[in-house]
Formats: sequence, structure tokens, C-alpha cells
Amino acid sequence: MTRIIAVLRRELGALFEAPITYVALALFVVVLPLLYFLVGFPIGRQPLPGLFEGGQASLIVLFTWLPFLLALLVPALSMAAWAEERRSGTEELLLTWPVRAYEVVVGKFLAHCALITLLIAVAVVPTALSVARLGALDWSTAWVGLAGATLLGAAYCALALWVSALAREQLAAFLMGASLLLALWGLGLAVTLLPARFAAFVDYGAPTSRFLGSSALGVVDARDGVYFVLLITFGLVLNVVAVERRRWR
Amino acid sequence: MSEHAAVTHSVGTIDADDVLVAVGLVKRFGAVLAVDRVSFRVRRGELVGFLGPNGAGKSTTMRMLTGSLVPDEGEALVRGLSATGPNLAARSAVGYLPEHTPLYREMRVDRYLEFVGRLHGQRGATRRSAIERVVEATDLAGYTHRRIHTLSKGYRQRVGLAQALLPDPEALVLDEPTSGLDPAEIVRIRDLVVRLAEEKTILLSTHVLPEVEEVCRRVVILAGGRVVADGGVLELAEGVGEALGVTLGGLETRADEDRARALLTTVEGVGGVAVASRGEAGRVRFLIEVEDRFSTAERVARALFAAGLIPIELRHEVATLERIFLQRTRNAGRAPEDPSSPQQPRDLDDDAATRSTGSRSAASRSNGGAA
Repeated sequence: MTRIIAVLRRELGALFEAPITYVALALFVVVLPLLYFLVGFPIGRQPLPGLFEGGQASLIVLFTWLPFLLALLVPALSMAAWAEERRSGTEELLLTWPVRAYEVVVGKFLAHCALITLLIAVAVVPTALSVARLGALDWSTAWVGLAGATLLGAAYCALALWVSALAREQLAAFLMGASLLLALWGLGLAVTLLPARFAAFVDYGAPTSRFLGSSALGVVDARDGVYFVLLITFGLVLNVVAVERRRWR
Repeated sequence: MSEHAAVTHSVGTIDADDVLVAVGLVKRFGAVLAVDRVSFRVRRGELVGFLGPNGAGKSTTMRMLTGSLVPDEGEALVRGLSATGPNLAARSAVGYLPEHTPLYREMRVDRYLEFVGRLHGQRGATRRSAIERVVEATDLAGYTHRRIHTLSKGYRQRVGLAQALLPDPEALVLDEPTSGLDPAEIVRIRDLVVRLAEEKTILLSTHVLPEVEEVCRRVVILAGGRVVADGGVLELAEGVGEALGVTLGGLETRADEDRARALLTTVEGVGGVAVASRGEAGRVRFLIEVEDRFSTAERVARALFAAGLIPIELRHEVATLERIFLQRTRNAGRAPEDPSSPQQPRDLDDDAATRSTGSRSAASRSNGGAA
């Protein structure tokens, strides 16, 4: 555990040194609430109006934006996690220290999860407080949505860190990670275009659908928890394998 | 393989005094055979120079010995434990300073050392005292609150050494620790390595041959992925044989040089002739292997004068590490898979003259007077 915490602390320090973290923070604190209040969510077959236009005390528009923004921001934040270690040569040294690959992977994952949770919280909590002053916000729905968004962010982190472990350069890590996560986000949109039997399958397996169709609406379903935990575990195991494979080449 | 002693292999029986052991290491990168059945051992308390031309496989071998690279065949052992095995004790027993000193440059020195200490499982007071120890050993006091990227290359090298020393390892593997440093810093790092050698086992890779002559009693030389020499410097020097150094001027073209070399080859008593270096104004230094330096020197001088070539210098070359290195690595470029390929005449300066200023200084130090 000491080693995992050591990696977590170092990684958090590195994240807060990176300018992209502050760009992400600004995006979540300023841009996301603006989209929520003024623009709504105009993508897809059923566009959602902004709060002022729709007049409903609900955070669903905010939660609908989150998977898309996270699909771009999580790879931007995690692209350096392994690719930079490789470029600077610190990965070689890391592999010579008495630390297991899983300890480093989990430490990095927890650091990125902590940052993503912070970003989601600074976007959701102040917005929710504002909405609660304007109307009757269902707080239980808001908290469940926040928890679901955190799980979605954690799953994205696990997948983006795996991609970073595969890439040699940060830019490649970002492009590969964003492509993967945007494809997963797009699956949710594609559901309406697919034949019914495929749509049900995709709807069941796409993380965006899992989030928007359940916890974002305030539904607590243990199957969603299991789904995201499995997705996170899948990403972390692939990450450990990718790191261990570095010892072979 | 085994986690223990009494392993009999190409290195013989491994005992408790063998700290680092390479047992038939093989590593391929795609079609390239980087390391080919490399075997050697470093005994407790030894400071061994690890030499070889660029691309000889030194860094790859060092990476296998420190656990960051798994060999395709063979075994890298640290105190009898596999360097890449599940037992992490092997990794705690070796401090490693890779080439180019990779560091987390955005971190402060003290926080970086704390991080490394934590990964080595050091806690609280133990970690603090370990950091104090390495800061003192590497003379980093006063710099611990600086961010690593603000330090000079020399100080960054010290930080790299400090992390290697932090777990108080039994062995150190240092990959070109003085590369790119200014002369004063080179001396400081070299002195530090000598001090460390009093209590540590050290495998030192460097291109600066005088440095190795100065501090190492034993060398392992790699060429073409294979060990081509392993022994004491004096012991290896005995096998080098006699040589003359002849410097000729006015050899403006490669054809002039080839004619001069052909002439020297025909002189009675001359073994091999190789170009050791080329200078300005067509000045070329030939290294000539001879059976008897006195009689052959006279014949060489007569032959040159008769051909209208005036030697600028003709002298006896003592058996320096440079000569050992040049002789043993002469065929380094040949693919190890193809031992049957015919030996072609090859200029030594292709490897040596460009290798380092250290080699040149070793050459300039070689003496023995005019033969």
C-alpha cells in the first residue's frame, strides 16, 4: 500500500504541474455550466434544451455533456502517464525498483481518478446548488448521478491509462485514447440507428448508455456498479500486461 | 532458473561472493541480435570496467542485470536471485544509474528521493536517515529544495547516483556516469565512484578508457554482443603483444594511405597494420603489430625512407587499455551469427578515433620512447 500511495502522490503532483489540468478545470468550472444553463445538449435525435429554455430543475443536461467532455479530457490528462515515462526514460528506472507493475498501475489510476472526481465535483456541485436556489432540485437524483459520473470517469481513466501504456508519444496516446472513448460515447448515440436486437445489446454494453439511462436519472442499479467495476478491472489488467511487456523489449 | 547457488554453467559454480552474474544472456530486438550468450560475473567488492564500442550490447546487458529487461535466453542473477524474478530482493540489492540519467524533472530533489525511498519500502526515520546519507555522499546538501530541472547536468547526475544509493544496495550498475560532464565534474563523480567502491560492488560502463585504467582492476569488453575479453587490465595487457606507432604526413588521399599501409605490411616482422587515427594535412597514425620492436622499427624506418615517406613519429606503443580495447573489438561490426565470414582489413579509427576524447588522451599518454 505504501508504494501505491507513493505513486499516487507523485502522479498527482505531476498532474497539478501540467497546464492541461488547469485547462480542464476551467472547462468544467466555466464552460460546462454555461452549456448547461444556456445551450443545452443539441446532439442526437432528442436534443435537450438549456435550463433557462427548458425551465426544469434537473441536472440531466449537465450529465449528458459529461461523457463527451470526459472522452476528450481524460485522454488529455492521462496521455503523459506512461508515454512520458517512456520518453524520458524514467520507466526503465521504475522497472528496476522493487515495486510490482500493479502497484504502479493502481497508484496512477487512483491519482487520475481523484483528479477526474474533483473536476466532476467542481462542475456538478456548484451547478446543483444554483439550480436548487432556482427550483426544487431532486438531490437524491443529483447525488446518484454524481456517483455514476464518477464511476464513468474512473472507467475512462482505466482505459485511457492502458492506451498511454501502449503509446510511445503523448500525442499518439491522446489520439488513440480519445478515439477509443469517443467511439464508446458514439455507441450510445448509434443505438437509435441500429436494428432493435443490436440496439438492445449495444445499449446494454455502452458505458454512456449505462450512465445516462440509469444513474444520471437517479436510478440505483447494482448491475451498473458491477458493469463499471468490471470495465475498470479490465482496463487495469490490460495496463499491467502492457507495462510488464515492456520488460521484454 | 534457480534462486540459488551451486549453479554450474558457462560461468562455473556461483557462490556467495558472486554479486552480479550474467549466465549466457541472449537478447534480440526483432532481427537484431543485441546480446549473444554473454556470461561474466562480478565478485563482491570488485569494481569492474564494462567496455565496448557503441552498439556492443553493454546497456542491454546492464538492463538485464538490473531487472528492467528480461533476457530471451540465459539468466541475470543478483546474489543468486533472478533479476527479473518474483523476488523483489534482487532489485533492492542493485542500484542502477542508466545512461542519460532519467529523472522526474519537475520534482524537488528531496521529494524525488522520498518517492524513491517509499518505493524501496523505506518508512519514516529509516527513509529520512537514508536520504541524509545519500545527500551527504553525493554532496547534494543545499540543493535538496531545488527542482531537478533547474540543476546543472552534473548535479542531476548526482541526484541519479543518490537514487541508486538510497536502498544502500550491495551492488551498483553505472552506465556512463561521467558522460557529458565538464572535466571538474568528471573528476568529482570519478572520485565518488572510487569512494563507493570501498564498500560496494560496482559494474562501471564508460567510453573513457583512462578512467577505467585509473579505477578498475578488471575489465569486461563486449563487441558485437559478445564478451571478447574478461580479465585484469595487467593480465590482458600481457596478451596484447608489441606494437609500433608510426605517424606519416602528406597522405592526402585514401589511395596514398592504402599504399603506405601496403608498404608497411610487406616489411619483415610486421604482423597487422591498422589506421589508429587521421589528423590534419594528411597526417595518419598507423598501429603496427610486431614481433620484435627494435629490429622491426629499423626495418620499418628504412622501408619508409626508401619509398620517400618520411615518418613524423615512430615509437613503441605500450600496452594501454586503448590497445587492448582496439585489438579485442577490431571485428566488432561483424554479425555474431556469422563467425565464418572472412576477416576484412578494417580501420581502427572508425571505432576508436570517434569514440571519445578519453581514447585520444590515452593514445597521447602512451609512451615508451622512440624505438
